Amino acid sequence: MAAAAGAADPAAGKAKYEPCLACHGSGAAPQGEVAPILDAQPDNFVQWQLVYFRTETRLDAAMTPISKLLSNEDIRNIGAYLASLPPPKLELGKDERPELSEAGEQLAKANHCASCHQEGYVGRDNIPRLAGQRESYLLKSLRDFKSGKRRGGGVAAMPDAVYPLNDKGLQALAHYLSRLR
Amino acid sequence: MSSLSKRLTGVAVVALAAALAAPAGAQGLKSYDSTKKEFWDHPPADWFLGDETEAQKGLTPKAPPATGVPLEEIQATLKNIKLPKGFHISLWAANIPSARQMAWGDKGTLFVGAFGVGNVYAVSGAAGDKQVKVVIKGLKMPTGVAFYKGDLYVADIDKIIKYEKAEANIDNLGEGKVVYSDMPSYPAHGWKYLVFDKHGWVYVPLGPPCNECLPPTSVSQIRRVNPENGNAEIVALGVRNSVGGDVDPRTGDYWFSENARDWMGDNVPSDKLNHIKKIGEHFGYPYCHQGNIPDPKYAMGHKCSEFTPPVVKLGYHVAPLGMKFYTGKQFPAEYHNNIFLAEHGSWNRHQYQGARIVRIVVDPQGKNAKQEVFASGWIKGKQDFHGRPADVIVAKDGSLLVADDWAGAIYQISYKK
Repeated sequence: MAAAAGAADPAAGKAKYEPCLACHGSGAAPQGEVAPILDAQPDNFVQWQLVYFRTETRLDAAMTPISKLLSNEDIRNIGAYLASLPPPKLELGKDERPELSEAGEQLAKANHCASCHQEGYVGRDNIPRLAGQRESYLLKSLRDFKSGKRRGGGVAAMPDAVYPLNDKGLQALAHYLSRLR
Repeated sequence: MSSLSKRLTGVAVVALAAALAAPAGAQGLKSYDSTKKEFWDHPPADWFLGDETEAQKGLTPKAPPATGVPLEEIQATLKNIKLPKGFHISLWAANIPSARQMAWGDKGTLFVGAFGVGNVYAVSGAAGDKQVKVVIKGLKMPTGVAFYKGDLYVADIDKIIKYEKAEANIDNLGEGKVVYSDMPSYPAHGWKYLVFDKHGWVYVPLGPPCNECLPPTSVSQIRRVNPENGNAEIVALGVRNSVGGDVDPRTGDYWFSENARDWMGDNVPSDKLNHIKKIGEHFGYPYCHQGNIPDPKYAMGHKCSEFTPPVVKLGYHVAPLGMKFYTGKQFPAEYHNNIFLAEHGSWNRHQYQGARIVRIVVDPQGKNAKQEVFASGWIKGKQDFHGRPADVIVAKDGSLLVADDWAGAIYQISYKK
């Protein structure tokens, strides 16, 4: 059956996404430590971030130029492909800092993170999945929201949500969320 | 130690413990110090996130598709839009992501603000061949745009920026000049709509950083600003979230749409159309909703009769945004000086409603108001959209343009006998 006009094509998205794996893959690519794993991210979240990069709403040395090579169709296809993948399953070692996990869990509850990010922090619509994300990337994002560096989307909630938290709190959140499976 | 001081010490210890535990289910009240500027730069996030009820749990604002709606889908939607006899809707311009308020330049350029991205667009060119250019980028949330005496004004949350001779300098608008900035920087309900009157005042809404709270009057009001000298006057108090208004061509009075609070239920309270009859009227927020429903938490000590009621109860969670008095000649005579209002549609309601254009016929004094649905068909199922009207503006030929920030497009509604 032919796809409806304008419908996204995950197979085309997969092909387009291939070069992105160097940074965004779930392997331990050295340059990928501050790049998020995008498997199972909500379709509209992926699309919006690409549009933020493309419109220079969100600035990033790597992503802003790359995004300008993408058409609307590419962006829709990549979003559909990534959303179709199972969630990342990084190897979960022994929790070396259980007290940090505990503090992160409490902070996530107290700050209503699930109001937008949903039960289990799996994301929805334009709101990202947090569960199982790389700890280093979660921490970078939280710090960027706190400092005002991160722009586009979430501006109506995230800078204010993280504002009262100190860096220890951000570390606790990143640690806790990264270990959710 | 007396028993009284013992008890006081005990209370102090409990409060401290609660604060340290960053209260997950901790008992006791939180306290905020709203006397410092820092508080208003970063209002507590739980002002927005703390009101969710069990009945409305899971309802969240829906994000538009990032790349707009594909052209074929827009065309299919427009075929199903219901309009009164003789009216016709067509696609006027596309590829305008997040399109919000529109403003005409003197030479026929249409400037368009945006919500999700930091762009201001300019649309020009012949019918059927509209060119869309990003003329300003890198702003925070430039929803409000207005054009006055050759200059473009953009409201970017805490700043009103003026771009001089905007049509002549269309390809190089530069940084612009901040003409007013006495406004807080929080984004939530900080997005704005700008309307000039003929005296050069620009009307600006200021909304509270919460769903329902007791904000200072400075962030729950409409004020008007003279961009020439930065003077400002309060024109309305007790306003929650207004993102639309217009000056009545019959009287010079300012009318405005207002989004009512969330989380009270699917069918309470109604959104509003208000009319400022005298400077400084109070429209009820946060004490009284839709003119006759006392707020369950904040109404104590107040009666709804203290406040100015709406002229029209628009409906529950219809989300009224941009509006204009119809001053064109193309539509039938009975439409003259009627209000067209863009309803953005629900999020805090199980069955969405709104996402349509309504027509309001009303006396200059706000009497004998009646409303009817003018254009509808953008709701998809229970909780989804084909499009979301965000603003309307009358074109030179008397047709009505509609900005849709979901589809990223502008439509034209025309009339032919």
